Amino acid sequence: MMAQLLVIREQLKNFYGRFENYCKPALKFILSLITLLMINGKIGYSSVLTNVAVALIIALLSSFLPMNFIVVVDAIIILMQLYALSLESVVVVGVLLLLMFLLYFRFASKDTVLLLFTPLCFALKIPYVIPLAAGLISTPAAVVSAGCGAVVYYVLSYISDNASTLTSMGAEEMLVRFRFLIDAIVYNKEMLMVVAAFSVTIICVYLIRRLSVDHAWTIAIVTGALMNILIILIGDLKFNTYISIVGLIMGSIAGVLIVIVLKFFVFNVDYSRTEMVQFEDDEYYYYVKAVPKNSVSVTDKKVKKIKGQNKETSSSDATARRNSTMEKSEGDVPEYRVRRLATKAGGRRNDSTINGSNKNGTKRIILSDEEIGKDGIVPTTSRSSRPEHRVDSNGLTGIERAAAAKAKAEREERNKKGE
Amino acid sequence: MLNESRIKLMTKMASFEANEGKRSVSIGTYFRGDYIGKEVIKSVIYGTIAYVIVFALYVAYDFEFFLQDIYKMDLLGFGKEVLFNYLKLIVAYSMITYVVYALRYQKARRNLRCYYNNLRRLNSMYRKEELEKNK
Repeated sequence: MMAQLLVIREQLKNFYGRFENYCKPALKFILSLITLLMINGKIGYSSVLTNVAVALIIALLSSFLPMNFIVVVDAIIILMQLYALSLESVVVVGVLLLLMFLLYFRFASKDTVLLLFTPLCFALKIPYVIPLAAGLISTPAAVVSAGCGAVVYYVLSYISDNASTLTSMGAEEMLVRFRFLIDAIVYNKEMLMVVAAFSVTIICVYLIRRLSVDHAWTIAIVTGALMNILIILIGDLKFNTYISIVGLIMGSIAGVLIVIVLKFFVFNVDYSRTEMVQFEDDEYYYYVKAVPKNSVSVTDKKVKKIKGQNKETSSSDATARRNSTMEKSEGDVPEYRVRRLATKAGGRRNDSTINGSNKNGTKRIILSDEEIGKDGIVPTTSRSSRPEHRVDSNGLTGIERAAAAKAKAEREERNKKGE
Repeated sequence: MLNESRIKLMTKMASFEANEGKRSVSIGTYFRGDYIGKEVIKSVIYGTIAYVIVFALYVAYDFEFFLQDIYKMDLLGFGKEVLFNYLKLIVAYSMITYVVYALRYQKARRNLRCYYNNLRRLNSMYRKEELEKNK
């Protein structure tokens, strides 16, 4: 079972690695479309904007633009939809969104996905996934994104539930409508309680998962879920918000299970490691594509178990076992294939390779994970287990030391001959 | 001639420059005090805008009350309260900004230190190659 899951994960990773250029815009498109459809479903008061074609066009546009574009577009769509309902709701929600953007863009402008997913998870009745997931993958700054997302959901829900009340008020009751909406934000105890619970849970999960103990992530998930339940229960007792305790516990269990699945398939796997970089020196232009090396390819293997031949092993079995061992040992050291195309400066493509040449002018250069380092930086003191990559006090790697020793020996030999 | 280890190093450095490096390099152009000061000033401006908006909303909410009692109320006391709340908000917001941006500056400097070490390594590789050529 576990092996199958690992294989599926590897396949997903390989698929994403191969088609990253298409996957990213496609995922952005889906996310943007879902958020727009959710907004239209909740507060679809403008017939023009509620049209699916408009949502599709905006989603298509969002797929090629930065993630924060989706946030800004969603905010504009919300305001335009509310304009069809009442001007007061535009003013109140507009001010609220402006305040949230002042906070969000100052501290958590990279947590766009979290900001968009929070209202989505609320709509899907799995809101307790958010603080656990945010604590695991992000920093405490995620409190801003998750909090803003929760506030947006609650405000839109309130407006959606009370739309008939707002429309039934006459034009002279503008101030009453205005107060009605502000009261909904300021005195919404449930919203404030959930935001507080999410904030504490995110910080708690973040602190625990950073501890250097075994199963820190699992401990963080379980503790975070319990903490979330506890804070919401205390808040419920204090403010009488009448939250369903069964719903809270079931929701938290669902949240924990979803986060465990996410942890396996998403958080522990780096899907975006294919790098395409360009640089040049005095002699060459370099166009480098660094692709993560595939480590598991179990699906191609067929291992037959033959009963009654315990001692003797068939040749195919032996081959399969050997292959599997070899792949495992390769997989232990994560490596990269670097495909290089070197072009002479100002000239046509030069097909020579680094050491010798081949037909298509490409060469595999193996980089270990340690060499790549975090954020693509080479660590100054190598922690690689490979002796040829260890860096000594002079800053030389094993390969360089060997080359220097060889050069020294040759020099000495030449000197002796000279003598 | 192409040097394999040099290309590896250059690839990693180019990757850094294309991703995290952009932000780190822009942060690295400031002294610590200047960078944090700039961000705190930005926060003060944003905080002031936010406070003005919230205050306007508050006045709009209690507009009738303000119109009725504008001559009866203690305007000096009200002004003091408003100012005191503003200062509380700004101080809290500035402190959070200071901590967050001090950490960001520290991280950027650490990344840049690593990057400059790699630059030095690259330079030494070029020097070695030059020496070998001259031989």
